[in-house]
Amino acid sequence: MRCNYCEWRCELDRERYGVCRMYYADDGVIRERFPGRWSTYAMSRVESLPFYHAYPGSRVLTIGTFGCNFSCRYCSNGYIARRDPSELTEGMYDLSTEELVRMALKLECHSIIFNVNEPTVSLPSLLDLKIQAGKAGLPLGCLTNAYTTPEATQMLADIFDFINIGLKGFTAAFHREYIGVPDVAPILRNIRALAGMRHVEITTPIIQGVNEGDIEAMASFIAGIDREIPWHVFRLLPEHEMKDSDYPSIAAIDKALSGARAELAYVYFHNFVGSQWVNSACPDCGQTVIERISLGCGGDKLSRFLCADNRCPECGHAIRMHGTLIPRFHREVAL
Amino acid sequence: MSLAIIDARQWQNIFDLRTGVKVDVENAETLLVKGVLARHPYPGDVENASNAWVSDTALDLIEQYQPQLACLCYAHQYFVSRYTPLSETQRRGMIADVFQEVQRFLDASGYTPLIIGTGDMDRVVGEIDLSRLDGLSIASHWSARYAGLHRPSSADLAYVRGSQNIERVVSRLEWISLFPGVEHDPERIPEYLLIAREGWTFRTTGMPLRKTVMIPATSLNIPVSTPLGAPGTITAIRGLIEANLSDERIALIILEGIGGRDFALPHQTCNNHAGWFSYEPGEAQYLTIMTGTHQVFAYPAGYRYHDENDANPEYPFSGYLKTIPQHTLGRDFRDKSIAVGNRSMLTHMVFGARISIECFARNLYNQGCMGVIHD
Repeated sequence: MRCNYCEWRCELDRERYGVCRMYYADDGVIRERFPGRWSTYAMSRVESLPFYHAYPGSRVLTIGTFGCNFSCRYCSNGYIARRDPSELTEGMYDLSTEELVRMALKLECHSIIFNVNEPTVSLPSLLDLKIQAGKAGLPLGCLTNAYTTPEATQMLADIFDFINIGLKGFTAAFHREYIGVPDVAPILRNIRALAGMRHVEITTPIIQGVNEGDIEAMASFIAGIDREIPWHVFRLLPEHEMKDSDYPSIAAIDKALSGARAELAYVYFHNFVGSQWVNSACPDCGQTVIERISLGCGGDKLSRFLCADNRCPECGHAIRMHGTLIPRFHREVAL
Repeated sequence: MSLAIIDARQWQNIFDLRTGVKVDVENAETLLVKGVLARHPYPGDVENASNAWVSDTALDLIEQYQPQLACLCYAHQYFVSRYTPLSETQRRGMIADVFQEVQRFLDASGYTPLIIGTGDMDRVVGEIDLSRLDGLSIASHWSARYAGLHRPSSADLAYVRGSQNIERVVSRLEWISLFPGVEHDPERIPEYLLIAREGWTFRTTGMPLRKTVMIPATSLNIPVSTPLGAPGTITAIRGLIEANLSDERIALIILEGIGGRDFALPHQTCNNHAGWFSYEPGEAQYLTIMTGTHQVFAYPAGYRYHDENDANPEYPFSGYLKTIPQHTLGRDFRDKSIAVGNRSMLTHMVFGARISIECFARNLYNQGCMGVIHD
């Protein structure tokens, strides 16, 4: 029986678990191998995920499961996402979705965000989580590679209120060599679809000498959908199979982003400590409306939120935002 | 103003350490630190060259700055031990390399050493999952043996008291009374401190995704090797260094994850506890060494660190450490001092040295280095 969750469309049976190794087929139904089993639950700040334009300043419960349908050579969570999940059962948290929601409430989190691995590998559990979170009024967000079938893409939109999509490159050749999938086309299709249904931000890690030449094409693609989609350009942190690679040049990537900054309203360049390209400016008048601090792998933080009611204080332009400032956890530092 | 000079590999910037705001400062000290940072990119916490980076960076800094006091922290073996399965032979080889590295530093620098091991490591026997309690359980930072319990139900208390793998359940009052006169904020101390049996560790919110292999043992005593004398207790180490600093250039060297079992140099044992409470490697142990007084409540085990992390962005580059600790040896010492370590956050905050250089790594992800020049 073919799995219909991601574009691999793997042939599954009781002992064939597909590329992600998280599903099997039984009695004509695709089932999860580890339903309700989680790799972690942790608190974070929404900016760290990163979401810069959703519920700024809020505390979130981050969760994940195991496995992935990509084989990124630089995976930063390879010890969870790239291992056979059956080897990790000892460390799994066995928590019902009701218990997860209770945990989020107990920890005073504003939302739950799936961020460790790819949510497509655990969609039935996440659908159940959506129901429980909905009862408690908790929004759900996720990070996804969007290598989903059209049906599963709709499921992502049904489950998650805000989504950060990894657009890792712009060519099929790049995806074959660095990501381990045959084509980028389904991802582009799904970005278009999800941006029409949900709040979307996009994240792209830049590998110097490999995909930096695609920056302009990616920016044009995003602008063609909506020039106000926030774009997070990451300096690649070499991990996993690329651990010994050079760190990309910040200055070179910054220079390569000049065209994108003209085309898109919100271009951020971070994933390294001390980045100066993490503030939001009004797309209309250029006034700084949100200030943040970048801690690289330590996570980003909101510093100052200057657009009450999500409007530029200078010209009144509406700043792209899903929800608004969650002041409960935010206090500005005295300068 | 204390300055943070961040080197994210071929990209350096200077920030106000307290506010995180970029500043434009250029003087002899910032140029010195920038130069050292540029010459010594950090290899990573679990890379074999990690401890050599500590020695090389410290030697470079010493050559140019000529400090009277140098504080070094070698932590590579601690990070590797916690998450990498090693055979006993591999582990012994790794520990031998640490002592070779320390000797290389001492031979090259000529400093008089005071070398401390933070305590032994034990293989993990099992994990105590506290996820299902009604109250909130927190095992903050790298703590393995301690967890805090907040707002527990009576069922929670019955559970933890009945657990075979929890050695002791200590009320806030009992914990505070173990350290009479030690400054504390009762609001930050959990209602109960849970202490795992040796070899057991807690699972609560925010635990690392990596599987834990070894954890700090219960170390009532830690090894100290120095020609300066016998401190006897962890709170006497600072005084011993201070008493000799006017005559000698001293290197305080902390070896993380090494206790009496593995300590390769002739040494004395030094008391590392007060009553039932023994120090794990971390800010409490470092602060106690550097202030000469017990500092168990500065960031109490199991406190709700996330509340502070959310609300107050002061000292954003210092992780969970929210203020520069006062009355540390480095802060009180009027002559030149440096600190170099591959234990991030602690190196620049807890030693209090005038100039410090540390890796900027979080959860073993390497993002470069940070130099700090304190005011």
